[in-house]
Amino acid sequence: MAGSPPTLSALRELLQQRFPSAPRTGGHAFATGIPALDERGGLPRAALTEVVCTAPSCGSHLLFGQLLQQARQRGGRVGLIDGSDQFEPAEWGADVLEPLVWVRCAAPESAVPAAEILARDANLELVVLDLRRAAPSVLRRIPAAAWYRLQRAVEQSDLAFLALTPLAVVPSAQLRWALPCSHHLGDQQRERSQLAAALTVTLQRQRLAAAG
Amino acid sequence: MLENKVIMPSGASADSPQDRIGTTGGHAGGGAAPGRASRRLAVLHLSDFALQAVLRLEQAPPAGPLALLGAGPRAVLAECNDAARASGVAPGLTVPQALARCPRLVVRAPHPAAETDARAALLAAAFTLSPAVEATAPGVCTIDVTGLAEREREPALAAALDQLASTGLLATGGIAATPLLALYAARWSATSLPPEALAKGGGRAGQSPSSNPNADKDQSAPGGRAPPRPIPCSVPSPRLLVVRDGRSFLAPLPLAAADPSPAVAAITAGWGIRTLGEFAALPKSDIAQRLGGEGLALWERCVGETDRPLQPVVAAPTFAAALDCEHELETVEPLLFILRRFVDRLALELASAALAAATIELRLILSDETVHAHSIRLPHPSTSADVLFRALSTYLDALRTAAAIAGVRLSLEPTRISRRQEGLFDCALRDPHGFTETLARAAALVGPDRVGTPRVQDTHRPDSVQLTAPPEVIAPLAPAFALSPLGLVLRRYRPPLPATVELAGRFPAYFWTSSAHGPVREHAGPWYSSGTWWEIQHLWEREEWDVELESGGVYRLVRTPAGWCLEGEYD
Repeated sequence: MAGSPPTLSALRELLQQRFPSAPRTGGHAFATGIPALDERGGLPRAALTEVVCTAPSCGSHLLFGQLLQQARQRGGRVGLIDGSDQFEPAEWGADVLEPLVWVRCAAPESAVPAAEILARDANLELVVLDLRRAAPSVLRRIPAAAWYRLQRAVEQSDLAFLALTPLAVVPSAQLRWALPCSHHLGDQQRERSQLAAALTVTLQRQRLAAAG
Repeated sequence: MLENKVIMPSGASADSPQDRIGTTGGHAGGGAAPGRASRRLAVLHLSDFALQAVLRLEQAPPAGPLALLGAGPRAVLAECNDAARASGVAPGLTVPQALARCPRLVVRAPHPAAETDARAALLAAAFTLSPAVEATAPGVCTIDVTGLAEREREPALAAALDQLASTGLLATGGIAATPLLALYAARWSATSLPPEALAKGGGRAGQSPSSNPNADKDQSAPGGRAPPRPIPCSVPSPRLLVVRDGRSFLAPLPLAAADPSPAVAAITAGWGIRTLGEFAALPKSDIAQRLGGEGLALWERCVGETDRPLQPVVAAPTFAAALDCEHELETVEPLLFILRRFVDRLALELASAALAAATIELRLILSDETVHAHSIRLPHPSTSADVLFRALSTYLDALRTAAAIAGVRLSLEPTRISRRQEGLFDCALRDPHGFTETLARAAALVGPDRVGTPRVQDTHRPDSVQLTAPPEVIAPLAPAFALSPLGLVLRRYRPPLPATVELAGRFPAYFWTSSAHGPVREHAGPWYSSGTWWEIQHLWEREEWDVELESGGVYRLVRTPAGWCLEGEYD
């Protein structure tokens, strides 16, 4: 399923506006520092969030860097499962990288099992699974049971889990956002914090959190 | 290996454990020497010690009749279990004789390394009670627990028995006023005491007298040394007997409990003497006249008058275990089983010494005569056997050796448990050992050099990054005085994608790669960089271009002497 119909997304956005607190699990979410996300409650903890990167240069690493800085400011630790080994540490200062645990996967197939290992660790506040550059055929071969097992692992923790994917492949995601807009070369002259604040996200799926 | 040094009084010999068990010393007068009435000794006793030591390191020990060969040149049995005794097997029989009596008998060879390990575990458990510990005999430790408050003695001894049970050794315990009485109590707490002994002289902790399933068997023990019965594995609860009145405790015991020689046992049986009380009722002078010095010593043991000072041992401050496997190990399960035994014992030793393990050193002796060595640094010193074992287990999960394992060596580097005041705003790990395990499991999945915290190296060469161990404590973020960085974040392709670039003049106008291609709408650059020009083989130089495709997407194109490549996408 590449995405929800526009009317369904519009209906979900409407419901979100009417009942802004419904998807939040007791008001305890990971604040991203990105207004477009935080206005909708941020990243829910103990749940999977999928960000579908539908356009090139849509800002998925910009988003990750923003989350990393937010976690750093709060003293939390972040796990990055880099499904295609594409993270560039030189883009960030050593101080920002200090709480990061970088798992460099040689193949995307090992990324989901690695994510499950990190999701069961009580020391991490945020785990990001980057499958943005994985081939769609590889992603479709990941069985749904693996995603639900990952969901079960995350449910028992207090961490926020974010999966960056090129298409909607996480059936157990509680929230699914899309980054639909490409950046331009002229954005290279803008401050990174401004670029992160201006990220455009659209909501594709929002499941209500289980009671209790 | 925990090595122990016997501190010997001048002129004494430590070579004969039997001497220490009860044939020397002065008189205690019914279990307590004059002026030393408050002295209390505890004994930890492992029945069929050598057999237990061997079976303890077997993942699936056989059930049913079992016996252990002696270490001497004659192939005779040294020990056997209850099931074997019930079939008529006894120590001293040759293997053919024993098999003729019990065809189902399983015979094991003695294993000195296993006995050493079991002995170390016994001593470690003993040292949790008191620093005054005597290695009395194989499978017997005598501990001076006078310094413990009376109400704490039984719980402490019961805890030591539990600790031994956790290392795979089923022991019994006794507390009394003399070493000999405590030994008798420990031996007989595993079997059955006549109800009157419990009522008059002793109190059992941890088990009611009527619940002992071996009650009838022990009463019918043959003459000679009373064979202490191995504890059935199905009854792991500690067994402990406290003797308060020595004479009353001893009186109903069978005479075999005092270890008479076969000759003396035959004579007393002819007299109709069955119990220690009956023998103690005979006049001492008549015993000396008819049975000599041996009979006199037996009489003194029967009245509980034998006392002696302890010969304490000192534990060497090394924490190691070793085993040469009888059969080579080809899978990880039996290796983990052995390591669990080692870890349980070493953790007990660490706890006794008030130390913690900082590093685990594992050496596997392979059958091709090579050695696989690995060191595991723990994030926090620990005495927890579970933590130590998990670290080993996680490492071994991903280990593949070139040959089967013929021997195992495990040692722990001890350290004092450090207590450090963290900064008020520092963020330490919530579960340091769990974090280490997580990293090890992730490393086992993706490779040991592919997990960690990135550190950018001090060079302009692109993609110079190193992975380091994540810090235990993260200091609060310092105020940022630098300006916010500009632009998008590079998503680096590793390796870079070879590209074909069409130029318009000097500028890229179109490029093709396996990932992206199309006409270039906008470009920026070039930016030149080079380095390590003083080393021809490491010289690098490059020309970077940032390009935006008409179809969308901002990329970094790089031209090197080898040609064009797409280094990454700005994301």
